[in-house]
Amino acid sequence: MCPTNGTTSTEPASVEAQDVFELYRRGRVAAEYPRLRRLLAGLGDDELRRAGQLLSRVDPDEVLRTHPETSVVSVTVTGHSTVSGLVAPLTAELARHGLLLRPRVGDFDSYVFDLSDLGSELYASGSDLVVCLLDADVVFDEVPVPWEPADVERVLADKLRLLAGIATTFTSAGKGTLVLNTLPLPRERAAELTGHRSRARLGAIWREANARLLRLVEDHPSVVVLDLEPLVGDGDGVPLRDARLAAYTKTRFSPGLTARYAREVAHLARGLSGRSKKCLVLDLDETVWGGILGDDGIDGIEVAGSYRGEAFGAFQRTARQLASQGVVLAAVSKNDIEPVLQVLREHPDMTLREDDFVRVIANWAPKHENLRALAEDLNLGIDSFVFADDSPYECGLVRHELPEVTVLHLDGDPALHAGRLLADGWFDVLDITADDRLRPGRYRDELVRKDFLDSFTSLDDYLRELDVRVELAPAAPGDLGRVSQITLRTNQFNLTTERLQQSEVERLADSAEAEVLTIRSSDRFGEHGIVGVVFVRGEGQVWHIDNFLLSCRVFSRGIEQACLSAVLEHAREQGAREVLGRYRPSPKNGKVKDFYPRNGFTAHTPDSADSAGTLAFRHDLADIAGPPAHLRLTGAIGVFGPLGTVTTEGNRQ
Amino acid sequence: MKTIDDFVLLIQHEIGLPVTAEHIGEGLDSVPGWDSLHLLTLLTALERETGRSVSMPDVLEATTLRDIYDLVAVTET
Repeated sequence: MCPTNGTTSTEPASVEAQDVFELYRRGRVAAEYPRLRRLLAGLGDDELRRAGQLLSRVDPDEVLRTHPETSVVSVTVTGHSTVSGLVAPLTAELARHGLLLRPRVGDFDSYVFDLSDLGSELYASGSDLVVCLLDADVVFDEVPVPWEPADVERVLADKLRLLAGIATTFTSAGKGTLVLNTLPLPRERAAELTGHRSRARLGAIWREANARLLRLVEDHPSVVVLDLEPLVGDGDGVPLRDARLAAYTKTRFSPGLTARYAREVAHLARGLSGRSKKCLVLDLDETVWGGILGDDGIDGIEVAGSYRGEAFGAFQRTARQLASQGVVLAAVSKNDIEPVLQVLREHPDMTLREDDFVRVIANWAPKHENLRALAEDLNLGIDSFVFADDSPYECGLVRHELPEVTVLHLDGDPALHAGRLLADGWFDVLDITADDRLRPGRYRDELVRKDFLDSFTSLDDYLRELDVRVELAPAAPGDLGRVSQITLRTNQFNLTTERLQQSEVERLADSAEAEVLTIRSSDRFGEHGIVGVVFVRGEGQVWHIDNFLLSCRVFSRGIEQACLSAVLEHAREQGAREVLGRYRPSPKNGKVKDFYPRNGFTAHTPDSADSAGTLAFRHDLADIAGPPAHLRLTGAIGVFGPLGTVTTEGNRQ
Repeated sequence: MKTIDDFVLLIQHEIGLPVTAEHIGEGLDSVPGWDSLHLLTLLTALERETGRSVSMPDVLEATTLRDIYDLVAVTET
């Protein structure tokens, strides 16, 4: 007899899995949707699969009726074979991130029709993501029997042309992101060739085609190609296919691979909607090195030269690799600070050094308090933190006190640490920009700035000494990736939270009616690069600020006032009668609710109805406050003229 | 899994369908929320529970939940 708690006789269910089942049984999933994220975080793979089956039966509209603030990701699933099996795992994977799936499943093998015709229902649906599952039978369904590698080569060439065309069509539609995948080669197909030479030829042809598929992303900014090869048969041993599912139901991927696919897509959706994790906080003893520094001393800890030491060393290299791409690395350890710094500075075998961390916190305070203070100092949301620790006690405490933090419990074997850290793409983004690579350094500088601030008695004195310089200028072609990224990553100082993919930014930058203005800043501690964006649009004598964004690194220095003032002045010079702005509330942007009214705008009722909760503001340009005295505004705002008549005499500094 | 009640619970837990013992003999079309894809989920769960393989073509041809239960029950005896 099965117990009534959602488990089966073969394995005991976790408390969280029982809670999920109870919610479902009592019809409370929609009502208590925000709780799910925390419950799902504690589930194993099998439990998550089962939870997906339950959750996919809940109507997303029912969730939105009770929790209208829930972020929705609309996904169309299409492909060559039976693809509906992706919906349940994708529901669970997105719910794990607090996101709500609105699924749409294309008809069987309708992907070519749906994606090639801009008038199709697929395009009309305007999904955030279109996931097109491709499998080897895309090719083998058209290969004759008997066959030779040359037959496969011919069909692959046709399919590549078709997919390149689809990628171009999709990109031209200008909405959403298309997800394709490489085609893993089933072993059975290779084994149907008995000659080793022809088998090698098949393998080469096949992989060349996959490489071309992967290269589609280079010319198509709206397309992502998931490389399935690393997911199949890796350490977790996910099989590619289930022979019976393939034969009887035309489901070409095994349930395990489908679940991994869903996980990748969910992290992609998370990244596209600006929710990638930004900060990795590591414990030190038994996480970064073996042993307890306080007991074993600097010479007694293990980082190289022993079985465990080498494994810890490998984990350090993984952390360093993540940090090199913009993940902000910090350490929080129960230790005295002096010996910790000594290890980071002097231990000959350490890979991670003091400079790799934006902050090293070693004290005896509870870790959740240290994490909270760190988030505040870095001006990052605590929900952008990933915390990794070997201690179940510390993990449990942080999970309990800070449910928004992603907690990774690294168990006793250091050889498994890196796999645990990388099992989920917590830090995945669409693309790494040059600015990402500089981010950890900037955060480090920012903390130095804070210490500098503490030495002043008033903020004004500090700001004067800080010597802030701001440059406001139309975005150059090379800036557009970074501009898109700012719209995706910025949550707090984001007046409308309209996320724009790079292709959408390009369209705006090319438009005669709109201008994309970048904000660069620097101060006595160094360059910040592009820290903000203003989207401006002219409509006769009425100018619109469609969005105004600023990185959280540079809040509260007058940069926003200076740039707004410059835009208003410029609008007046160009003959505008008024400038309109909007604030659209999100769970994160409450701090800029009063941005417009604080800067001379008055409440305004727009002609057209906007989405619920949006506030509209108007500036009549009669009295424009000047930029704050402590900063210098430079740049070439004057290059764009009224009503989109862009002139080119600007001189970028 | 020994009784029809176990079977009903398994369907509830694995697929999330509010089925009861009354639905067991009805056509799959009249089981609330039924979808042919559920057969596969159910089959995988049944194989895990019983530790034996169940014929997928037979499951796919089942017209009632009772048919599926009988397939498994027969295998177990």
